[in-house]
Amino acid sequence: MTRRSLLVAGGTATALLPVLVGHPFVLSLATQAMIWALLASSWDLLSGYTGQISFGHAGFFALGAYTAAAASKHLGFSSWIGMLLGAVVAALVGLGAGFPALRLRGHYLALVTLALAELIRLVAQNWLAVTGGPFGIYDFGSFAGLPVSGPARARAAYLLVAVVVAAGIGLMVFVCHRTRAGRGFRAIREDEILAESLGINTTAYKLLAFGLSSGLAGLAGTLYAYYIQLVSPTVASAATTSLVIGMAVFGGLGTIWGPALGAVLLFAISEGLRFIGVVYNLVAVGLVIMIFVIFLPRGLAGLRFRREGRTLRRDAAMTGAGGSGA
Amino acid sequence: MESLLEFLIQGVVLGGLYALFAVGITLIFGVLNVINVAHGEFFAVGGYILFAGVVLLHFPAALGVVASGLGAFLLGLAVYPLLIAPLNRRLGRRPAGSLYLVLTLGLSTFMQSSLLAIGGGDYRQVPPLVRGILEIGPTGVSYQRVLVLVVATILLAALFAFLRWHRQGLAVRAVSQNPEAAQAMGIHLARIFSLTLALGVALAGMGGALMAPLFNVYPAVGFPLTIKAFAITILGGMGNLAGALLASLIIGVAESMVVIVVPSQWQNGVAFLVMIAVLLLRPQGLLGRAVTR
Repeated sequence: MTRRSLLVAGGTATALLPVLVGHPFVLSLATQAMIWALLASSWDLLSGYTGQISFGHAGFFALGAYTAAAASKHLGFSSWIGMLLGAVVAALVGLGAGFPALRLRGHYLALVTLALAELIRLVAQNWLAVTGGPFGIYDFGSFAGLPVSGPARARAAYLLVAVVVAAGIGLMVFVCHRTRAGRGFRAIREDEILAESLGINTTAYKLLAFGLSSGLAGLAGTLYAYYIQLVSPTVASAATTSLVIGMAVFGGLGTIWGPALGAVLLFAISEGLRFIGVVYNLVAVGLVIMIFVIFLPRGLAGLRFRREGRTLRRDAAMTGAGGSGA
Repeated sequence: MESLLEFLIQGVVLGGLYALFAVGITLIFGVLNVINVAHGEFFAVGGYILFAGVVLLHFPAALGVVASGLGAFLLGLAVYPLLIAPLNRRLGRRPAGSLYLVLTLGLSTFMQSSLLAIGGGDYRQVPPLVRGILEIGPTGVSYQRVLVLVVATILLAALFAFLRWHRQGLAVRAVSQNPEAAQAMGIHLARIFSLTLALGVALAGMGGALMAPLFNVYPAVGFPLTIKAFAITILGGMGNLAGALLASLIIGVAESMVVIVVPSQWQNGVAFLVMIAVLLLRPQGLLGRAVTR
């Protein structure tokens, strides 16, 4: 208990640090890192915690971003409604993907979600009237009610994003640790057939995981849209999914907060590498994924907890999922 | 009518390319149980080797294609001992499941961005390896496309012959059926795994070289093909080589025919819709047998 409160206090203090520094560049990086943290955690809820591997989170992220941008651009909605809409649309599509996914396991699920993200990218690229095609949507405004410009705006935008992200991650941690659903998720991950035979409603919990995960990925997308103020088809590319999975693997699968931490650190590293050369950051992401999958499957989060029982279960986060896939 | 024939021919050529891709992925999956997400990057490597050989160094085209296959083969040889074997060692007897997918996704990102770092993001143009147009009745097809189809057919026939009659090919099939029993018969598992992976990605590398004049060469050229090849392998039945061949032709022809009905920019959606439909209606694929769990 004390360790958890220490973690929360430490996290909050770290999260407030960029506000104290106040430099626009630092704030900009910190804001983007926060958005990635929410996306990586949402992936972890579905794939790490519940064991349903998604290769399509870039698609849900893009869906949220595009919905919010289109709602503000074409319908003139404020960012608050846009954020809500983006999250809801992404959650609904996630649920829609979840239904067929109930019949699929392991490999197949990953491949279907990958195809789903490609379809979303294709639509974004070709539905000119709504998505603006290859150029994307721009000029749709930013967060409503923030100071117009200057350091005050950067600070307020950061705080707003940080609060929304913290609420999203907090919701996931709460659901995982404090509700029956959390136990349901873990049961599905460990042994789905056993869970079913024990009377756990695996269908409902899987759908809940899908809806919650894709909805929060969509919410991250809306934050991205209103912060960057440009949405283009590249956000739906597989490189985004790869980056998110890299962050989650880096931080530690199946812990929710680990991937958030991994996202912040990996984003910092990859932005740092931009000073050496723009192309090297993705080289690093690829290396991180390979090295951590092979040697440190529990990620950074696993470095702290070395109790045997836990370590075995963490590792099962991914191995259990696909074992029955073939 | 003319255009119909033209679309059909183009579809078959496309199907030949997809077959090079999907058969490689299927072979690797059948033997190693690894779905190689990085397969398309070997296609890109093949394209870059051809570009370097033929455009920069002025080698003859045939030499360039062979070098592309060889380069991809050599890179592929390293994948098993450097990535998959260490992961298997750590896991011990536990199943790897989706870890392979994440691992090869990492390899894909690594290779793609390395190509970007080395070769830059420009679209490299490669002139046709052979020039001229073959007249078929009222329509014509460029010799480059004929070349793709002919070489793909030869390569696939060679692969099937290798698997059917060669001693090592027999070993590959034995390992795919039962690794433990194969090992007990004195087959060196690690060697067969490396060989299979290298053969599979070499096909992709040759495909990349053959398609370079039609597609241009850039770091991400192969990734969309990988996703499409997944759709094809699922349509044909996972791990089923003949199914992969049949499904490649179906998807290739369907993609080029669909242009008659819908605008061409939606062409790429066909494979994904087919994949989702197959998984919902007939998850074992066209030629696959239903797995009772």
